[in-house]
Amino acid sequence: MLPQFDYVRPGSLSEAIEHGATDGAILHAGGIDLLGCLRDGVFTADKLVAIAHLAELRGIDETRDGGLRIGALTTLSEIAAHPLIGERYTVLSQGAGSAASPQLRNQGTIAGNLCQRPRCWYFRGDFHCLRKGGSMCYAVAGANQYHCIFGGDRCYIVHPSDTAPALVALDARVRIVGPSGQRVVPLDSFFVPPGQDIRRETILEPGDLVVEVLLPPPGMGLRSVYRKVRARGVWDFALAGAAAALTISDGRVTGGRLVLSGVAPIPWRAAEAERALAGSRLDAETIRRAAQACVADARPMTHNGYKVDLVRGVVEETLRSLA
Amino acid sequence: MKHYLPDPDQIPGEAQPQELPPWGETRVVGRSLSRVDGYELVSGTAVYTLDLTLPDMLHAVIVRCPHAHARVVRVETSRAEAMPGVRAVLTASTPGAEIPWYFGDDGPTSRLFDSHCRYAGEEVAAVAAETVHQAWDAARAIEVEYEVLPFVIDEAEALEADAPAVHEGGNLTEQREFARGDVEAAFAEADVVLGGTFRTPCELHAPLETFVSVARWDGDRLTVWDSTQGVFARQQELARYFRLPLTSVRVICPYVGGGFGAKLSTGKYTVIAALAARMTARPVKLAVTREDSFLSEGNRPANTIRLKAAAMRDGTLTALEGEFLGSVGAYPSGAVSPYLLLALYDCANARAATTEVYTNAGRARAFRAPAFPPCAWALEQTIDALAEEIGMDPVEFRLKNLATVLQLRDDLPYTSIGLRECIIEGAREFGWESARSRPQQDGHLRRGVGMAAGMWAYPGEPRATVFVKLFADGSVNLNMGASDIGTGTKTVMAMVVAEELGVPLEQIQIEHADTGTTQYAPASGGSQTVVVSSPAVRAAAVDVKGQLLEIAAAELERPAEGLVLRDGQVVPIDDEGAAVPLAELRGLRQRQNIVGVGRRHPHPEGKIALPFCAQFADVEVNTLTGEVRVARLLAAHDSGRVMSYLTYENQVFGGMAMGIGFGLTEDRVLDSQTGKMVNHNWHDYKIPTAKDVPLEQTCVPIDPHDTECNTTGAKGLGEPAHIPTAAAIANAVYHATGVRVHDAPITAMQMVRLLAETRGD
Repeated sequence: MLPQFDYVRPGSLSEAIEHGATDGAILHAGGIDLLGCLRDGVFTADKLVAIAHLAELRGIDETRDGGLRIGALTTLSEIAAHPLIGERYTVLSQGAGSAASPQLRNQGTIAGNLCQRPRCWYFRGDFHCLRKGGSMCYAVAGANQYHCIFGGDRCYIVHPSDTAPALVALDARVRIVGPSGQRVVPLDSFFVPPGQDIRRETILEPGDLVVEVLLPPPGMGLRSVYRKVRARGVWDFALAGAAAALTISDGRVTGGRLVLSGVAPIPWRAAEAERALAGSRLDAETIRRAAQACVADARPMTHNGYKVDLVRGVVEETLRSLA
Repeated sequence: MKHYLPDPDQIPGEAQPQELPPWGETRVVGRSLSRVDGYELVSGTAVYTLDLTLPDMLHAVIVRCPHAHARVVRVETSRAEAMPGVRAVLTASTPGAEIPWYFGDDGPTSRLFDSHCRYAGEEVAAVAAETVHQAWDAARAIEVEYEVLPFVIDEAEALEADAPAVHEGGNLTEQREFARGDVEAAFAEADVVLGGTFRTPCELHAPLETFVSVARWDGDRLTVWDSTQGVFARQQELARYFRLPLTSVRVICPYVGGGFGAKLSTGKYTVIAALAARMTARPVKLAVTREDSFLSEGNRPANTIRLKAAAMRDGTLTALEGEFLGSVGAYPSGAVSPYLLLALYDCANARAATTEVYTNAGRARAFRAPAFPPCAWALEQTIDALAEEIGMDPVEFRLKNLATVLQLRDDLPYTSIGLRECIIEGAREFGWESARSRPQQDGHLRRGVGMAAGMWAYPGEPRATVFVKLFADGSVNLNMGASDIGTGTKTVMAMVVAEELGVPLEQIQIEHADTGTTQYAPASGGSQTVVVSSPAVRAAAVDVKGQLLEIAAAELERPAEGLVLRDGQVVPIDDEGAAVPLAELRGLRQRQNIVGVGRRHPHPEGKIALPFCAQFADVEVNTLTGEVRVARLLAAHDSGRVMSYLTYENQVFGGMAMGIGFGLTEDRVLDSQTGKMVNHNWHDYKIPTAKDVPLEQTCVPIDPHDTECNTTGAKGLGEPAHIPTAAAIANAVYHATGVRVHDAPITAMQMVRLLAETRGD
């Protein structure tokens, strides 16, 4: 059952910011993640601030520089079905289309997907864990088969989003507005790893809203793909996934990014692999080397060693599909 | 089955009543007809217990122990009692709540609210309030002080000398041994001996309708609407708990949204609802949440099965040996069964030892063919491995070693056994030989096919009474106690009536599953519903037919033997033009009703009627990621006569879908540090989705034309449809990859690691 809270429906973005900055306020857009957390007692809220009706947060438009602006309230279904995104930013289309289930994608928004809380079953369950202000991470000695092999630091969550790795791979930015004005931040530096702050997953401050996602114009020869491995065919988060957005010219990789999902507390850039790919042809040997480079820094726990094999496998398959 | 359903051999016998002759060709039975309640189910007009609202109804919720093992020191309810809308708070000290619960061989092992909590989720207190939200708020305001105790959740650790005792007297609940022949000698003489240790996961029941009851008292008469598989079983238990005559307890269940075995025995929530209703003199509804039902209302226990088998090079199976270990959870139940090992194949030397233990976890319940899918998982993979070792095709090896009598019961003969035909016809329809030899590799994807056989062990509880009432206009009322748990029971039974009385299905109304107005039928579980109730329905319809034809014979001045009932008319066989609609029979108008009574006949003497099956799987394994995709499934079943083709196919496809869950995705996870379940919700507990079930599923019914099993010729289907699926998939995965997966489920997590190990990574 949901706890008691106030519910406000601000008439404008500035009003929403004002309400959002008050103590115990939480934004309510699609509500997919929020209502579940409230019902399960993961956290409470004194006030929900509805933003789903704010028209200026909607829409997908081409920008003057040849990129794309995606309003914060755009649903995952809209992104997955958008022809321009499918054509120019395939990795994002596939990321949005592989999240959750069709019903959830119809309701869930892009900003909500980026800002969702971790899916760790200790965090979500009846365990007073470190991230909830407790004194221990239960995953360290517990059931950690779904936990991270990269970037863990006292807390071992994985980032649950399928759109975030795609957007990081595409070097997207987000526009944030809040009580202290607005700023545009590369998505790369939007997420907060546990080593930096164990109680939050994004840089958003009280009252801050993500208002839009900004995609740069696709680079020459950009080819991109998202591949997700999950425990069942639909309605599931990634065991591991790979978002690749590479520019390829004359058969050689000239740039781009490779970002992993489901294996780290934030979308995880496989920087070593990116270096291994740069300037090379996507032949079997390069692909194997890049896949191996992805896991060089892996630090598996007691029950998630398979993720090392899985990352290698999913990266290999992903890169082969671009070759 | 001893913990779940009555033993047919313990039911008092009676003189053999005159049996009806077997059907010849049928006109209605066996056809593909839409469900009689299809409109209600699809349109949402069917009122399930979960949908039920009574005037003045209160809502109750349960306070549960959050610890795997604890003692309740103090329960403070005063704050909750003062909260708005609260009408009753129930604890162990509430008068009437001292009800003994969870019966073992030596009597009760607990009570309704036990101060010794033995698993996380155990019932400690309850609240009834005007709204469900008020009830939850009050439940949260109840303060319970616990003394937390050491716990044990691992079956093997539970047997260690210093393990925390779940009950006084230790954690071992039962050890049994079965043996025939000389296993040691057979192993010594065999050409090939092999074996392995297999493990299957703990599976959770997830019926779409959760566990729910609505209770109301009228004076000292109790009426309970309950989402249950058997109203009469529930009536008997409630009468015992409340010390009432059976006639004072009425249990009603017009629709049930699935049970899968977990709704066979009475849940504490039902009795708590009834107690709260008595305290408040108001109707009370108690619906267990999905999360809580995962904790408390049932599971199929994990099994660890060590198997050893031997064969000669000529393909003769010579020895089978198995050790079985499983946990019933915190209270008496069943966990393991060596039945398949000892019965499916002709094997002179066999031995099995079973060990069942208590652990600090939710109590096991019956779960679609309890303990059979785990045994099939181990046995059918071992049979596959033996066949390979001696260089024989798995189909051929099985055909060479089929049992023809029930070795477990002194070679009792079967009334029919279509297992050979299931395997042969199944393999033919599946295209076994060509699929087995086709190219397997496509890049990093590998294809493979496998099969597994099975049988089911429960012949049914042979007692049921049915009334069939014909009205003056020729329409019919079928009155029976059986529950339709979503399998199509009502449709099957209406077709039996239509077969005998020649009335269209639309002219048949069904009253069922109500102890106040319908007659005794056993619970719908153990694949017995059609087996037990359809002969009683037939007998009742035949009774009506006899009376009706007597009336018609007198009016038409023709012998009754020369008349048949068809399309709502009495038709003279040799003069169809003289047919008379039933409504025009004066004798029927004079009586207004003709009532027929039908009773289930006893099982045949000296024989047993059981169903058999063989299933085939075609899989694709991604060798880079370990993902397993089931490309197609085929099921060949000998469940006797096909009573209703569509519901038969539904049962088979549903059983296989559940088998995919057992084989590939489902696994309860308990946290080793706290003993608490971490995946008690529908996201973290992975039930397969539509995308995990193949589009290509084939149902191949094998009808051995059994005229001895009962008077409709049908054997059970629900259970067998689920038994061999996971094992067939595992054998297909082996064929695809050469990796023998011992532990279910075959997740990508496990498979990607096994593939890497095989490659030597």
